[in-house]
Amino acid sequence: MPFNQALRLTSILLAAVSFIGLTLGSGLPAWLAMLTGGGLIVVLLRQFTTGDLRHLATHVSFSPAGWNLLVIVGFLWFWVDMFWISGELLPAGIHFLMILMVIKLFNLRLRRDYLHLYAISLVAILASGSLTTDLWYFPIFLLYLVAGVWTLILFQITKGAEDTGAPPMGGQPPQPELLGRVTPQLFWLANGLALVCFGMTLAIFFTIPRISAGFYQKGFGENIRTSGFSETVNLGAIGPIKRDPSIVMRVKVPRHTLHAVDRLYVRGVSFDQYDGKSWMNRLGYRRNLSEESPGMFIIRGHEGPAPSRLGDAIQQNILLEPLDTSVLFAAPFVEKISGKFPAVQSDFAGSVYLPFPSSSRIEYSVVSRVHPVLPADLGSELTVYPESFTKHFLQIPYTSERIGELVKAITGSQRSPYEKAQAIHTFLMRNYRYSLDAPLAGVDRPLEEFLFFRKTGYCEHYATAMVIMLRTVGIPARLVTGFLATEWNEYGSYYVVRQQDAHAWVEVHLPHSGWVMMDPTPPSVEPVGDVYPAWRALERILDNVKLQWSRFFVQYSAADQLAVVRELKAGGKSVGHKAFDSVTTLFSPFMKLFGGIPDYVFPSILRPQGSIWGLVIVAFIIMLGLSVRRILARAFPDKKITQEDHRIVDLYKQMIKRLADKGIAKTATTTPLEFVHLARIRWGEANLVVASITELYCRTRFGGIPLTDEELGMAEDGLRQLTILGKS
Amino acid sequence: MPLQMPVFVRRWFLHRSTRVTSEGLQFLVFTLAIGIAAINTGNNLFYLLLAMMLSLILISGIVAEYCLRRLDFHRHLPDLIVVNQPVTATLVVKNRKSRLPSFSLAIFDVSDGRNLARGVTIHELPAGASRLVPYPFLATRRGKLRLDGVRVATEFPFGLFMKKAFYHVEGSVIVCPEIIPLDESLLQGLMSTGQEQNLHRRGHGSDLYNLRLYHAGDDSRSIHWPTTARTSQLTVRETEAEEQRRATIRLSTIAPVSHDIVFEQAVSLAASLVQHLARQGYLIQLIVGSDCSTFGQGDAHLHELLRMLALCQRSDPSGEFMARERLDRDRREDEGGTEIVVQSWCGPEDHQPGRLTLLVDGQPVDGAIHAL
Repeated sequence: MPFNQALRLTSILLAAVSFIGLTLGSGLPAWLAMLTGGGLIVVLLRQFTTGDLRHLATHVSFSPAGWNLLVIVGFLWFWVDMFWISGELLPAGIHFLMILMVIKLFNLRLRRDYLHLYAISLVAILASGSLTTDLWYFPIFLLYLVAGVWTLILFQITKGAEDTGAPPMGGQPPQPELLGRVTPQLFWLANGLALVCFGMTLAIFFTIPRISAGFYQKGFGENIRTSGFSETVNLGAIGPIKRDPSIVMRVKVPRHTLHAVDRLYVRGVSFDQYDGKSWMNRLGYRRNLSEESPGMFIIRGHEGPAPSRLGDAIQQNILLEPLDTSVLFAAPFVEKISGKFPAVQSDFAGSVYLPFPSSSRIEYSVVSRVHPVLPADLGSELTVYPESFTKHFLQIPYTSERIGELVKAITGSQRSPYEKAQAIHTFLMRNYRYSLDAPLAGVDRPLEEFLFFRKTGYCEHYATAMVIMLRTVGIPARLVTGFLATEWNEYGSYYVVRQQDAHAWVEVHLPHSGWVMMDPTPPSVEPVGDVYPAWRALERILDNVKLQWSRFFVQYSAADQLAVVRELKAGGKSVGHKAFDSVTTLFSPFMKLFGGIPDYVFPSILRPQGSIWGLVIVAFIIMLGLSVRRILARAFPDKKITQEDHRIVDLYKQMIKRLADKGIAKTATTTPLEFVHLARIRWGEANLVVASITELYCRTRFGGIPLTDEELGMAEDGLRQLTILGKS
Repeated sequence: MPLQMPVFVRRWFLHRSTRVTSEGLQFLVFTLAIGIAAINTGNNLFYLLLAMMLSLILISGIVAEYCLRRLDFHRHLPDLIVVNQPVTATLVVKNRKSRLPSFSLAIFDVSDGRNLARGVTIHELPAGASRLVPYPFLATRRGKLRLDGVRVATEFPFGLFMKKAFYHVEGSVIVCPEIIPLDESLLQGLMSTGQEQNLHRRGHGSDLYNLRLYHAGDDSRSIHWPTTARTSQLTVRETEAEEQRRATIRLSTIAPVSHDIVFEQAVSLAASLVQHLARQGYLIQLIVGSDCSTFGQGDAHLHELLRMLALCQRSDPSGEFMARERLDRDRREDEGGTEIVVQSWCGPEDHQPGRLTLLVDGQPVDGAIHAL
């Protein structure tokens, strides 16, 4: 492909990549995306097709005045857009940028136009970087890099060609043979440069100091809407989001720390007050947690009379997507939380909050500790709780005889609170069916409707029923909302938590164990959907890549850089030690051998001196070796015989053969010039050819002057001529 | 004591230089803007773009350096060139690299530290290949033109920077004074003297011209012994001049600084006369200041005379120089032929630069100035 055509193609591709970036980042309205996309297609058709399509595409054009008018209209539209339509500078600017891009694409004549197009595409890719942090930006960025490297190379080469007299792009079309074509060498070089550039980009990206002055910091896009984590939650509020597969967080847990490897409860908020239709958190008063060290917050003293510290600790790293709630989710019950937070708050029920919802993805680490049921609680009687405790956790909205009778029937034979709770839990698990199609919103008493009539429902209904039933028999309980993570990503060793994993369960207070978690919701029997396992695995791989992208690119920070430096420092030392040990081990036989030489050579009194002399001699030998190499290198310089040298030597040999066929033999003692003289005497017709080939041969062989391709071509022609002369 | 840079650093800066192109300047401005945006927002994707642009800048430097490395240059110039007459010089460029090609090489001659643009660009020079590049070479001043080397520049790969490297390829060429078409009146004068010289006359040669009695001081080798024996009088043999037309062109190099331009015109006129008379078949002797050539003919002799004129220098009119030139003139015996004297300065009374004097056999010839 000629250079100028390749330049046009790569320039259009560069613009197309930046346009795709903006479109994927939802930065363009549909009409503008279609207009720009259409413009790109028309320009490509104009340039790289023939026949009717090209003819058709060529008609899509305006006069220069028409284009100028379009620019003015676009500029006026920008103001209208900024003040009335988008209402913001960034979207309006992006829309105007796309209009300019379309205009430039149709007016690529001068080199200046190309430069304008590159500037527009750079701003567009920058804008798409401000609109998204999704994984798709990475391939778009890669494509942009490759197209950019190609474009810059071709732009430079065509500039060089124009400087030497080829007409400009806008004038007469330049002769392809003047400008040259994309050779395989250039093709591989450009791609290689793009690869090197990518490598260097990564190196610079990870090492460039992260200074964030933050005059204008902004989150990306809208936060994900969740349900069930506000102060008041209507019964059934979780239901609608149970079909939403959006990822809300990823929880990395060391697998061996988990007892139940197939599921992880991620606690959000607990509720204490139920009014028959909705749950409220009356203990939502938040206090700031004390910061033990920078970024690390400790929850001191759990609520309740008997906090347990005997359970297993669970370490979690959580990557939380931007949500519309300030709740920090974690496995129950949180002890420590660390992250880049200005402050962390906690309420009386142990829920953890940020001061305000985060507008960007956040990452934090949590240490939680589960509360196991202590043996003392297995047979203990009901305890009398203080009123301040019972008014929250034994509150019921109304007294229902049917529920009372049901609970008595279930728990009548049980003595301890734990046994009663277990009985209710078992009753609900065995006698009710899980279903998301259970609208109870318009029902007057939804709990009774669930327990006695429909007998189907989802987590909220089960949890509410169990809490009320427990409270009916005097066992303190509360409803907890959060997520039940079941989707384990084996490629990244983390749980993927989606909106559809939103869940509600129960925390029961036992006199000795404190708050203990119970989940009365039976497993769903609804079909999961016909998805191939391979597809699922691919999804998990992709999600892991997304996580790594987020971790190492989007969330990469100065703290990470410091951590890397520390790792390298520690690793460097250990690597150094390891390398030293390996070398020592490797050379130990030789060291022993050399160490034994002085013992063998010198008598015992002279051994120390012998060792020193031995070292001196070895050093001298090494230095002598190095000097000899250098002297040899100077005395016999490495004559690199190049390809041209070989060619002319071959041609000269062939010439000698032709002359020998004619009876003019070259003896070993005949010099090349003597041989020319001999040839002139005995075969006068061939004199010119023989002289010219010999001259080129001598020049290369003895003069060290390189031959050009033209001269080599001349020598080949001469040999051909000699062959013809010989035959005639 | 002033701080001195290490030798290798100075040598590096002598051999390498980098200049930002206009596109490069725009690129740097964009890089700076993206850097500010990245710092301002803390957006890592901005940092990614910034890293890409910085890596492009780094790669520019590295690849340009590889493009300029391990090149060989051999320049071929004519032995003699004339002022303002273009000749074709050739440059053989070889890429000694084993793998990497070189792209977009612009080549300049370097003389006295100045880059002389020749409009030579090699778009692609594959690894191990060589290329013969002819280019027009025009000298504007007579004398010995020394070429220190070749400066090769490239904007490859991205056109952001122009990197230049210097290669020592020393060479020199003698630049002859400008040859000008001579005025008609001047040629007429020369023609008439040529006619006069066309007659038979005594001089150096082998053919007999005349026999005469011996005079004191005559060379004893020229005694014609048969006639002497026959007549019993010492008789000498005179020979006829072998060439019938001889000319001595004398260029005075004494002129004050104010007559510098006129001196150059005089040199140019002398060169033009030499060329003209040589074409007419004259035996020519050239006397430039105190330098004197022999009489001679042919291309080699012509080149020798032009070389003398190319290298002659103006001398200030001090008493010593003037006396020496006068002495040289008196000492030289008249070897016959036309004497043409070209003077750019007539003596201390000549205060007006611009008067070029031409004397043919002592007679001034008009049209010397018009000839230029």
